[in-house]
Amino acid sequence: METKLDEKDKLELLKDILFPDDREAVQDISKRIQLLEHLVNDQKLLAAKVDPLVDDKLNTFTKNIPNTLGPTITATLKKEIKNHKDDVVDALYPVLGKMVKKYVAQEIKILSDKIDNQLGFIKRFKRKMRSWFGGPTEEQLLMRELASATIEQVLLIERDTGILKASYSVTNTIDEEMISGMLTAIKGFVEDAFHQKNQKLEQIQYELYNIHLQSFVTHYVAVVISGNYHLKSKNKLQDIIFNFYYNFMALNLDLVFKSKDPEKAGKEVRTIEKELLEKELAASFGNAKI
Amino acid sequence: MQKSKKVVILGHFGVGKTSLIRRFVTDQFSDKYKVTIGVHITKKVVTLPTDDTISLILWDLEGTDALEEIRDAYLLGTHGIVFVFDVSRPSTFQHLNSDLKIVAKKVPERPLLVVGNKKDLVPEEELTQLLENHQISYNYLTSAKTGDTVEDVFMELATLLNSDA
Repeated sequence: METKLDEKDKLELLKDILFPDDREAVQDISKRIQLLEHLVNDQKLLAAKVDPLVDDKLNTFTKNIPNTLGPTITATLKKEIKNHKDDVVDALYPVLGKMVKKYVAQEIKILSDKIDNQLGFIKRFKRKMRSWFGGPTEEQLLMRELASATIEQVLLIERDTGILKASYSVTNTIDEEMISGMLTAIKGFVEDAFHQKNQKLEQIQYELYNIHLQSFVTHYVAVVISGNYHLKSKNKLQDIIFNFYYNFMALNLDLVFKSKDPEKAGKEVRTIEKELLEKELAASFGNAKI
Repeated sequence: MQKSKKVVILGHFGVGKTSLIRRFVTDQFSDKYKVTIGVHITKKVVTLPTDDTISLILWDLEGTDALEEIRDAYLLGTHGIVFVFDVSRPSTFQHLNSDLKIVAKKVPERPLLVVGNKKDLVPEEELTQLLENHQISYNYLTSAKTGDTVEDVFMELATLLNSDA
């Protein structure tokens, strides 16, 4: 049977006769391209091939960070710390404060336990005596001693200006901005009058209330406490204040470091929303037990 | 967001610093003189023509003839100053320039307004002559008693502090 070939088929036949090797090579290349396409499009297959290489490169990069990026990071940090010395010190203050406080608290506890052991008997005897001679019952006296302290009000105040940054309050008081100003004036007066620049006024006591003042570099926190405010409560309160202030300064530093321009950075620090700070205050002090 | 600014009121004894503040904050005046001991703090929120609001925290410092002795602790972080003298007592303004130098040294580069108070006690012509004779330059002449120009002082300072921020 005679088959009629068209021009294209004839050309193909001629190619097969003249270049059989090329034909195979083209088919081989085509297969390889198909395999590669499959490899590139299939995530698992590609990951199996590429991941070891990326891991290897990353390991090398991580190992070389101290040499490659180290000097740049150190120089940048040095510059930023130099430009924002107060902010950095302020941020570190709560961390260092906690460490020192823990050590001192531990030492005081040991001392306190020793004294308690010595005075326990005398205390119990005194309580019984007061109770016998017409005073409150021994249970009442014990209850009074054990009555816990309650946080009534917290104020975050700028240390120099006395300007209130944020507040948290359980009860209504007179204008908090005026209280902040007066507390700052009293604090300034006491610290100035006794020429003890490095000593800070830490506590103001009146009848059943105490005002605990925790100073940092740029701000201080004033906490009004009712009830029996003793060393243990003070210890707990300081932990809460340090935690709050650490978070507050973290917010501050975020803003500082976001800006490359030190001039702008100073102003940006002041733009932390009062509402955000008050939420932080409420979260830190709202349900705190001291 | 409302800004808060610390404003200190300075001047010699009995020039009417407390009365100026009382007139501005509560629109009241009392003839009974009560010495300020230490510092007294009040606050007033001011709305500027730009509709910005600014909270002025007014630090009324006790009067002193020796301005060098004002406690630095009271002046820390001050945003603006009002220096008050009594137009009826030359002893409160005859050293005004040196007093202002001391203030500028203690609180550098801050807006400062100089106010001659008690203008109701001296006839206008006599007052102008008196201040000219002593070469006194001032920003405002006020009367805490009548309330004359008191508001203007604090409004100008608030405007300066608002643009300063």
